[in-house]
Amino acid sequence: MGLSRGREFFLGRYRELGRDLKGDESTPQAIRVNPLKIGDEALLGVMSSVSVELEKLPFLDHGYRVISAGFSLGSTIEYLLGLYSLQEAASQLPVQALRPGPGDTALDMCSAPGGKTTQMAAYMGNTGRLYAMDSSRGRLYAVENNLERCGVTNCLLYHGDAAEIELGLTFQKILLDAPCSGNYVTDPLWFTKRTLKDVEANAERQRRLMSRALELLEPGGRLLYSTCSLEPEEDELNVQWLLDRSDVELSPVEGPGQPGLTNVFGVELDRSLSMCMRVWPDDAGTQGFFAAKVVKR
Amino acid sequence: MRLLRRLLGELNSGYEADESRIIRINDQYFSLDALLGSPPARRSLVYAGLYLGRDRRVFEPSAALMEALSKERETRKIHVNRETAWLFVCGRDVFQENILLAEGELSPGSYCLVVFDGWCIGYGRYETVWGSRMIRNCFNIGDFLRREGSTQ
Repeated sequence: MGLSRGREFFLGRYRELGRDLKGDESTPQAIRVNPLKIGDEALLGVMSSVSVELEKLPFLDHGYRVISAGFSLGSTIEYLLGLYSLQEAASQLPVQALRPGPGDTALDMCSAPGGKTTQMAAYMGNTGRLYAMDSSRGRLYAVENNLERCGVTNCLLYHGDAAEIELGLTFQKILLDAPCSGNYVTDPLWFTKRTLKDVEANAERQRRLMSRALELLEPGGRLLYSTCSLEPEEDELNVQWLLDRSDVELSPVEGPGQPGLTNVFGVELDRSLSMCMRVWPDDAGTQGFFAAKVVKR
Repeated sequence: MRLLRRLLGELNSGYEADESRIIRINDQYFSLDALLGSPPARRSLVYAGLYLGRDRRVFEPSAALMEALSKERETRKIHVNRETAWLFVCGRDVFQENILLAEGELSPGSYCLVVFDGWCIGYGRYETVWGSRMIRNCFNIGDFLRREGSTQ
């Protein structure tokens, strides 16, 4: 048996899954307007006045691709004021698909660095109750900064492992943007770092978090499970694992990608997995991404 | 809370924090609205509701608190243009000639918010240094970048 690692190994797997990727795809910088502070049109006007050119991403509510900027967009006055956040295009999709609303009680299980948490607060209009947590105290400082910068006031942020922390609550909407193996688009050294063993270890951890998420979900509530991994062990196979063990069903995820895989390396999966969204890096000029919307019966 | 009240007085602010809704986490203060109520698992809580700021040797206000104060008519404030705002965010002081508009009376030793394009970017103290009048930079939103650097 050959080494379960390296560029050719992973690209070969993607070919087996029906996608012939080059392995050098990249994603342009993208921003998300923060509607808690400013409207899209007003921000576009401000950014245009300082010669920043933006283009609306058609599949996102408040997402824009950066066409040109003569300086770092992570250190402008507008950024520091929280008028926008730097957030890769595909990573804006999960919260948009979950769509927590005003008055909801929602949970973000793996919050750091906080981009999706602030996005959830924006969809909730800073109302209701947004609980967020992360197991890394060091990474929570970034979440705290983002909450403050973006003017979020409806969030309670905790330090703890989402699989273990006990809040004594159930939730209508849960985001599980799980820690994952990532993908080569956002990390040039990805192929040299990752092995199939890593992928399997991450998949196991993700299943633990998924189980906990279902315990915390109210009947009829929605869990949005997402990763930025292209590996089916962390995506479709994990969702199949959940379908096999729980009283849940899938609901369609709208977006720019492809339907979730229903055949992985010759193994037939539940046909409803096609309601998931799999974004390959050459689909829409984004990083790789996967999202499944699970409804608890 | 004593340091927060002192800062509010120094800025001539009429802002009244409902102390029954304020919780403290280490040296940080947060205001919770009625819906957030009494948070569960307090020992694991690191951030809650509206962040007001933290007690250091002086009260270090949050961006959210400064923004709220800047919307009040009576709070002392000055308005500056983009160039001056950028220098202020980088830690520089504001010279008198770069103040576009002052709201409230500026006298030596008084504190004021610094506002750019309707947004509060920090606060400072009106001083005379070597014959020049200026707003000495006390705190600004460039702190977000400095914090990122210190926690990475």
